[in-house]
Amino acid sequence: MAEQQTFHLVIASVGETRFDGDVYSATVPGSEGQFTVLAHHEPIVTTLTSGIITVKTKDGEKKFSIDNGVVECSQNRTVVLL
Amino acid sequence: MASLKNIKLKILSYKKTGTVTHAMEAVSAVKMRKGQERALSGRAYAAAGLSVLQRLSGTADVARHPLMRDVRPTRSNIKTCIVVVTSDKGLAGSLNSGIIRKVEAEIMRLNLNQDTIVMIAIGRRGGDYFANRGYDVREKHENISDGVSETEMRMVTNKVIAWHTSGEIGACIIIYQNFISTFEQQPTARQIVPITPKVVSEMVAGIRPARGRYAPKPDEITSHQVTAYTIEPDADTVLAFLLPRLLNVAIFHAVLESKASEHSARMVAMKSATDKAKEMSEDLTRTFNKVRQAAITREVSEITSGIESMK
Repeated sequence: MAEQQTFHLVIASVGETRFDGDVYSATVPGSEGQFTVLAHHEPIVTTLTSGIITVKTKDGEKKFSIDNGVVECSQNRTVVLL
Repeated sequence: MASLKNIKLKILSYKKTGTVTHAMEAVSAVKMRKGQERALSGRAYAAAGLSVLQRLSGTADVARHPLMRDVRPTRSNIKTCIVVVTSDKGLAGSLNSGIIRKVEAEIMRLNLNQDTIVMIAIGRRGGDYFANRGYDVREKHENISDGVSETEMRMVTNKVIAWHTSGEIGACIIIYQNFISTFEQQPTARQIVPITPKVVSEMVAGIRPARGRYAPKPDEITSHQVTAYTIEPDADTVLAFLLPRLLNVAIFHAVLESKASEHSARMVAMKSATDKAKEMSEDLTRTFNKVRQAAITREVSEITSGIESMK
């Protein structure tokens, strides 16, 4: 299998940055339904509902529980604002 | 000439004052460093929020959101909210008087008077000053700790949004000490309502000091190109979520900047106090030695003249 592509993910709340690094995929609870962001996702802005963000990195899986937020994907960079 | 004992007491008291101010200087130095680091923590969020907002502003309906609309030209009796951020305590040089002067200058510039202003005071100094002069200080927040969290500022943000929604205020400006460097703080007035992309980009640009360790790297600030977005569920929902948060970041960040400024101003003020105390005690020590020497000389000459007279 070819090397899986990564993209840059930032999960930030006002007070702190909770995650900042390169990941393979991020599954987020969108307000219109859960979806998974992979590298080169189309540009999208959407709100999030309460749930769990699952992030896959080369070191394994990480989970972040959130109440709400906004996710923005553009140019192989994804930002989650809580 | 003052007695030896009096001079000695004075020297002691200067030295004690010097010790106290020196300790305060050291404490402020540590607090200042922490404050500077914290002032940066909101930056990632604001920068990301800005880029979303910038790209959303490409869509036509962005200005429809109430927080982004400037209603002032259409209504004459609308008020302006001024958020005044000062410190609770003094001993910080011209920090608070600088803020108060800036507030008064802004009131003049915007052509406001006491009837068209509502105020929110963060920090006792500014709150007391304007309350005593008859301004409508609606909210006073005191004893805000250095480790203030963003959620504490929501009280202020929510009030501003509520007044804006009810149509009482048409604009909100926040006035605080912007931290430029340890020796330089600048009283800054920033419009935070209505939120325009210009306001947000000013905020992000001002979120880091221009020079020094925390200065931004050149490539960090430039935002990338506007691309076509899929917006779910719709722009209004996204803005309704994002704008209050950005407003909160703006207020939160102003408070952090003020904290960093307060501690650095106090550190500098205490440093000069320590230097002055040292100078005074050195001067007095010299006087002390002169007086003592004069007394010895007098005694010696008295003794010798006594011996002479007995011969």
